[in-house]
Amino acid sequence: MKKTFALLLAVVMVLSVLAGCGPQGNTETTSGTQGTQAPTPSGTEGTEGTTEPTLGTLTGEAGHYTYYDYTATLSASWNPHTYQTTDQAYPLDYTSSGLYSFIFNDANHPIEGKDPFTGYVIVPEMAAEMAVDVTEQVRAEHPEFGIPEGETEGYAYSVKLREDLTFDDGTPITAQTFVEGMKRLLDPRFQNYRAADVYDSSNTAPIVGSEDYFKQGHQYYEDNGSLKIPMDALAPGEDGQYVVTDAVTGANAMYQGCKVYIAVDVPITWTGGEDTLADYVEAYGDAYFGMDNWDTLLGLADEDGVVPCTEENLALLSSVTTTNPNWGETDADLFNYLLIDYTYPDGVDYDATVGYYAASDYELVSVFTKYVVGFDVYYGGLQDTLVLVDPAKYDACLVESTGADGNTIYSSTYNTNVDTAVSYGPYKVDGYQTDKSIHFTKNENWYGWKDGNHTYVDPEDGQTYDMYQTTDIDCQVVTEAATRLNMFLAGQLSAYGLTSDDFEQYRNSEYTYASPGSTIFFFILNGYLDTLQEREAAADFDQTTTDLETMTLKNFRKAFAVSFDKNLFIATTSPSYTPGFGILGDTYIYDPDTSAFYRDTDAAKQVLCDFYSVDPADYASLDEAVDSITGYDPVAAKELYAQAFQDALDAGYITDNDGDGVSDQTVTLTYSISTSTDIQTKRINYLNEKLKEITEGTPFDGKIVIVESAPCGDEWSNNIRNGVHDVVLGGWNGSLLNPFSLMTAYVNPDNAYDANWFKPDNYPVTINIDGEDVTMSLSKWVAAINGGVEDDNGVIRSYGNDDLDTRVYILAQIEGAILQTYDYIPMINDGSYAMLSQKHYYVTDEYNPVLARGGITYMKYNYDDAEWVDYIASQGGVLQY
Amino acid sequence: MLKYTLQRVLYMIMVFFIITLMCFVLIRMLPQPILPPNDPHTEVLEMRREALGYNEPYLVQFARFLEGVFTKFDWGYSEKLYFGRGVWSVFLEKLPATIIVNLYSILWTIPVGIALGVLAALKKNTWVDYFISTITMVVISVPSFVYAFLIQYIFCFKLRWFPFLMKSGTDWFSWDMFVSMIPAVLSLSFGVIAGFTRTTRAELTEVLTSEFMLLARTKGLTKAQATVRHALRNCFVVVVPGIFGEFIGILGGSLIIEGIFAIPGVGGLTLNAINGLDYNIFMLSTVFYTAIGLAAGLVVDISYGFIDPRIRVGSKK
Repeated sequence: MKKTFALLLAVVMVLSVLAGCGPQGNTETTSGTQGTQAPTPSGTEGTEGTTEPTLGTLTGEAGHYTYYDYTATLSASWNPHTYQTTDQAYPLDYTSSGLYSFIFNDANHPIEGKDPFTGYVIVPEMAAEMAVDVTEQVRAEHPEFGIPEGETEGYAYSVKLREDLTFDDGTPITAQTFVEGMKRLLDPRFQNYRAADVYDSSNTAPIVGSEDYFKQGHQYYEDNGSLKIPMDALAPGEDGQYVVTDAVTGANAMYQGCKVYIAVDVPITWTGGEDTLADYVEAYGDAYFGMDNWDTLLGLADEDGVVPCTEENLALLSSVTTTNPNWGETDADLFNYLLIDYTYPDGVDYDATVGYYAASDYELVSVFTKYVVGFDVYYGGLQDTLVLVDPAKYDACLVESTGADGNTIYSSTYNTNVDTAVSYGPYKVDGYQTDKSIHFTKNENWYGWKDGNHTYVDPEDGQTYDMYQTTDIDCQVVTEAATRLNMFLAGQLSAYGLTSDDFEQYRNSEYTYASPGSTIFFFILNGYLDTLQEREAAADFDQTTTDLETMTLKNFRKAFAVSFDKNLFIATTSPSYTPGFGILGDTYIYDPDTSAFYRDTDAAKQVLCDFYSVDPADYASLDEAVDSITGYDPVAAKELYAQAFQDALDAGYITDNDGDGVSDQTVTLTYSISTSTDIQTKRINYLNEKLKEITEGTPFDGKIVIVESAPCGDEWSNNIRNGVHDVVLGGWNGSLLNPFSLMTAYVNPDNAYDANWFKPDNYPVTINIDGEDVTMSLSKWVAAINGGVEDDNGVIRSYGNDDLDTRVYILAQIEGAILQTYDYIPMINDGSYAMLSQKHYYVTDEYNPVLARGGITYMKYNYDDAEWVDYIASQGGVLQY
Repeated sequence: MLKYTLQRVLYMIMVFFIITLMCFVLIRMLPQPILPPNDPHTEVLEMRREALGYNEPYLVQFARFLEGVFTKFDWGYSEKLYFGRGVWSVFLEKLPATIIVNLYSILWTIPVGIALGVLAALKKNTWVDYFISTITMVVISVPSFVYAFLIQYIFCFKLRWFPFLMKSGTDWFSWDMFVSMIPAVLSLSFGVIAGFTRTTRAELTEVLTSEFMLLARTKGLTKAQATVRHALRNCFVVVVPGIFGEFIGILGGSLIIEGIFAIPGVGGLTLNAINGLDYNIFMLSTVFYTAIGLAAGLVVDISYGFIDPRIRVGSKK
């Protein structure tokens, strides 16, 4: 019995193991796991019985040029309609092409006044020629697309496609293929994440009708704080509930007849975007609100947190928000608490609605909701082809499941394994294993191999070379930096991103390249006096020894801003970065046509001189003056701390009861941390050390301390916005080619970190335009530089399409105004360092913000794969860098 | 025994159901990542959450989950980590790598660990015992990822005997795959060997000094006969459950070791599912390992009776 049991148990164990390891019949597994794909030329994809190893024991074929890449997280799905992160989009970099592409300027594509490979030009890629403006024609032939009357350019473009476009399996691509891709992207049943890219009104070139098509049949509560429909355009309907009247015109006319609700427990723009009125009332109660009718109003809210807007309910709302002067609102502000109940019309016909259609087999027309011209046409408008999918394969990959209320939910296995992978770019996926590796090889059906256009003239030897010398790309998941470094030194990776541990040894290697980033990290300094006073009023706060309010004083903030040597700060805490001095970093391009950098302009330089009190007259040139800036001025800092001390005494924030000229209280700033790390601790220690040094002999001698907050994860930004924490290193990036639009992040209350204490709508800025001093609020200047706005005198100020010199000048003044708030104290310009393997070299060492150093398109090789193996062996298996 | 077994199975099902419900609710109670309020992508994500029913009451969602599993064996689709793919197929795809590596590991670690333990016990208080015991303590005290980095550095980088990473592909039983797994297998093995060595030595040492061992010798058995027939059998009462545990552990991967050697296994699946709030992946892995764990506990308990006839279920008076 016992022997039988033991035998049975052993058999069950072995069978379980073998069963778990057998081939799987599920159609969603990769070809690699099923062993059905033919071995690839490089043998990277392991198939059953394949004996060719990939990495580790490098083997190489002559004439093959493999780029060995690594990633910490391998994309499990690179569906162009659903990807959410850059990691997920990684394979698309190789398997797709754009309608137009950026290439370096060279002898064949010269830019006047620029050396080869110092700028870029835009050339047709999948397009046969540059786009043609067909606004007038489309307006006449397709009134349904609503191009404004009188507009003759900038709203519709026609792109003539190449006639030899195919997917990697040879299936032809025509203009209708693009349209089919767009139909699927916007199909409301699929709820594709990337659909928003097409209709988002804040984008450069939203497609006409795309939002109506995508959202058809959906009901939304639109935030009237954003729509800004005034109260006099609302009136009670037959049932007593307010509706939007015919008085509303323009873009908001679509809301006519829609019912209105009060947002009682719904996050709205007016309450910061993430909080609700209920959050505020529950937090502050009768200190700020009229509480007599609050419970009644809250009790009326349905499960969505809304209350029908009637005369009676509006009166309840008014009694809550307008009766307490501390909240400071009147009935004129009530419209901000309202929501418009809007349901997008159902049964929308794509052809009659969406401005993206095929005019012929090879002519694709895009109609935009905005005026789009020049560089934006190609960069934000037509460059992106990620709507393109293989319709047949896409449909075959759809998976249905049942969701809430029995509705059908669609998922897709498109681009999740070799079988469902589709390419129309220079490479195709021929090996993939989930969470392990992906392998690309040349897509033989890509038009670019034979069209003669994909060449460049080398700036060194003047010879013409083909682009895309790389034949294979092998990407492995390598999670540990130590493993990456060892693999790199053993010749098994093509590049290696340096970590802080490697800097000392490899920073000065001839194979190390610095790549500046676009983000400026600044100290965001708490200026929210109300919250600071509330924190001081807490029972456990000792006001005799500690103070918070002083940090809101301008002189204190100015002193804080010049208390740290940014170079030393970087060297101590973030060696891969460079110092940051302005709101905008070194890589921002203000003129995409000439790739001119904002930071190189005189206006931008002057702003830094003004902010850091450097007089250019003291230097031989403006450049020298800027180069002298360190951001550190101990003399000025001490004077400012002394002035801040007096200001704080006058304001009653601190005391000096013993009359020793030193504050009785320690100004304590809480540094917000998401997770506790060594680098955060090192930063805080460094700041405290320098504050102690610089306040020596001042009234704040040893009386300014930065303490670490409890780890708060993603809440750090809310804690800063709400004044719960006092300082953090944060930043904005994006809009690399449009620094003008990035300024909106500093005036939009949804984004701005200082929205609770800095009101850009009320912050006047005077800028001299063509000899005239123009004064508007900061918000209006930002609006004016990105389009147009009416100033306080009713004059339209529109600089969005003005000459670039004027725009740059205004941009610089806006940057200066933001710096002068001392809410943002620039510290770090991000960047990275990476080593490139001896197998490769870049065609140019200069870093270009758009093209970097050319990427895979221009990657050059010293050795083919076979030669590389021999070379490594000749070096004893470990390469010296 | 049968009654006891059935009773345990019933308890097991109850516990399994409670754990499943708790996990189902707890993962959904985790806060969603804060999304930009006016970003249109946020709107799309919220639309999808609504359509998926994630805003419905938890019990309604749980009922739908159970219905899917029990009526169609449908574990749902991944919404985050493996978007669009059925979670069951993802799990099955990743399980073999974990199983193979762990299997190779225990196939040699258990005999070696027991052998070293026996040797140390038989050579108690000699230099052999001291040496084995010292090494055992050192190995147990050091985390396995330290060996992993050392093994990778010495054998893969310096000596170049093995590749840095496990080979891509699914040719699990090929020579190249076996060679590529050796660093990971070694990294997983040291701790297990040390564990078995220590347990076996401790148990065997105690048994060897028992009176019945003296009786066995006085009956005329040789030392080897007495050790193999009586001492080893007695010490296995403690060792065998450990062996069962190791076999059960085959199915659970090591997050760190799999990461270091790029083993595409299930090691990080649960943790990644929690971090990514991929509900379906989390539920599948949780349910799977809960079931395995409960079953293992049952098997181990029952196995005591077979190993040592003196162990019986106690009766209530």
